[in-house]
Amino acid sequence: MENLLANSSEPRTQPVALHGAVLRLTDIEKVYQTKTIETVALNRVNLTINRGEFVSIMGPSGCGKSTLLSLMGLLDEPTSGVIEVDGRAVTSFSDRELAGLRNLKIGFVFQSYHLINDLSVVDNVEVPLLYRPGMGSKERRKRAVDALDKVGLSARTGHFPSQLSGGQRQRVAIARALAGGPEIILADEPTGNLDSVMGEEIMGLLLDLNRQEGVTVVMVTHDEHQALKTERVIRFFDGSQVG
Amino acid sequence: MLRHLFKLIWNRKRANLLLISEIFFSFVVLFGVGTLLINFGRNYRLPFGFDSGPVWRLAIRAGQGQKMPRAELDDVLRQVQALPGVQAVALTSDNTPFSFNNNNTRYYNHGLQSPITNNYDADDAYARVMGLRLREGRWFQPIDDASKARPIVISQDFREIMFGKGPAVGRAITGGNPAVDPKTDQYRVVGVVDAVRMDHDFAAPEPALWKRLEPFDTTHWETANVMVRVAAGQGGALQEKIARTVAGVTRQWSTEVRTLEDERLSKRRYTLVPVIALSLVSLFLIVNVALGLFGVLWYNISQRRAEIGLRRAMGASAGAISAQFLGEMMVVTTLGVLLGVLLAAQFPLLGAFGMPTGLYAAAIGAATVAVYVITALCAWQPSRLAARIHPAVALRED
Ligand SMILES: Nc1ncnc2c1ncn2[C@@H]1O[C@H](COP(=O)(O)OP(=O)(O)O)[C@@H](O)[C@H]1O
Ligand SMILES: [Mg+2]
Repeated sequence: MENLLANSSEPRTQPVALHGAVLRLTDIEKVYQTKTIETVALNRVNLTINRGEFVSIMGPSGCGKSTLLSLMGLLDEPTSGVIEVDGRAVTSFSDRELAGLRNLKIGFVFQSYHLINDLSVVDNVEVPLLYRPGMGSKERRKRAVDALDKVGLSARTGHFPSQLSGGQRQRVAIARALAGGPEIILADEPTGNLDSVMGEEIMGLLLDLNRQEGVTVVMVTHDEHQALKTERVIRFFDGSQVG
Repeated sequence: MLRHLFKLIWNRKRANLLLISEIFFSFVVLFGVGTLLINFGRNYRLPFGFDSGPVWRLAIRAGQGQKMPRAELDDVLRQVQALPGVQAVALTSDNTPFSFNNNNTRYYNHGLQSPITNNYDADDAYARVMGLRLREGRWFQPIDDASKARPIVISQDFREIMFGKGPAVGRAITGGNPAVDPKTDQYRVVGVVDAVRMDHDFAAPEPALWKRLEPFDTTHWETANVMVRVAAGQGGALQEKIARTVAGVTRQWSTEVRTLEDERLSKRRYTLVPVIALSLVSLFLIVNVALGLFGVLWYNISQRRAEIGLRRAMGASAGAISAQFLGEMMVVTTLGVLLGVLLAAQFPLLGAFGMPTGLYAAAIGAATVAVYVITALCAWQPSRLAARIHPAVALRED
């Protein structure tokens, strides 16, 4: 009886490994079905992201990189295949449970920052903490200020996004991703809208966070130089892993 | 989260100001119409203070420029009274219940000025014909012939205003301020009756007093208004008989016999037409505002797709997104309603229109509930729509 139970629920009861896989994607396929065409965005992708890694993802435009990040970030469901977070398959999770997991474990950084223009810098950084049950406003503010400190923007808490440069905006977005204390940061072309100097700055910041804070980072990039600075480069072509 | 919503709304104040002012405007309209309708509804449930069912109004006209001698009029009254089915007749002034005539003025109890008060002429039979409810003293009687001051009967509301808890029967009031005009008309109170509502079905009771018409009054009338109390079940046949009876005394006079019930119903129709028109116009305005709100919310949500995707990525569930948009609307509604309440509260505070505070409070309550229901309904569908926006799609940047 005991054995049977242990076997049947094996994936869910595995203990969280400290140095094991944060994310595991098995046989992932993603097909976008529109009225006229069917796009296979990802084709049999198998991928494991380990704790503490800095992985970069490269590939031509339209090869499925953003789709992959959406799936890793639990923003979308694969057409087939299994996604595991900390060893637990999320296949049957409800919308609420997925939202809770995103909030606790995942930080997002986007190419176009996606800051809320009507909120100040510090209020933007607080956004993920609004969705954390039971967190008071003092605690939120403290965490947001700490996160802004880490990205070197503690002097700009009261500014609005429109008053900042692109590089500063992306740093606010990174602070926002950090504020919730995530296990993994998913960054989709974080330097894509920045000039090379600012891009270097952001890349340096992500590397520091990875090395000093131990945050796992998965970054989509078109920049070979940046990719070379990371521990692992995964290359995609037309929905499939090619290296 | 509420603080967060306030911040969002404050930082978008220019766009939200439009919404707030639309909600404020709707509130004011609903408050106005609500006050009117609630007032009408409350009054409708109050007693008239007299019987309208078994009473008819008989108008006798002497004709253009003609007067009727009192002796002939008395003859008519006697003959009508004698008809089978007629219980009693009374002579009164032309401001009969539910008519379009009124006659009102202010009176004085020494220095104390009364509110505008309806005054009616009435003979000794009037109280019985109309079924007035006597509370104190008595109705007019032949012994009043000897009275120096003209006898009056007052309504309970007039009594409360002018005499408070002190005695009323036996007291005198005057038609003008005695300090200014020492020779002003004098009246002596002989009785008090229940307050009456004679204007229409939805009218509030108004202070009233009845002045005695003396039997030997030699005033020559152009029109005599006679109230006729009939036995149950009387109808058109008796109406015709009454008209013929008058014609039997003199062919010169014309008559009109109408039941008070008919008069009540036609006055009710007349009163309701503008109220219904006003309600329809307001309804139209409110529907327009609601459609406007609905459109603005749809537009807002399409403009904020990226924000919605972002919040979903940061850990908001679909439910949290729809709660946020509903919540924003409720905060905006609250601001509009607060402004509206601030304005509406001036009416009872300034005592405008002399309506009771409770009525205004009820109208404020009703308008508040209605506005929240309307905005919640308008926000419902757009909020659901926002919740269904797919985060991965909303966040795409190509
Ligand atoms: N929501 C969608 N509906 C239909 N097709 C989509 C959708 N999202 C992405 N695609 C298609 O999937 C493919 C992969 O897109 P994407 O993951 O954005 O690539 P990348 O980020 O590598 O440029 C592209 O052909 C794109 O047009
Ligand atoms: Mg992309």
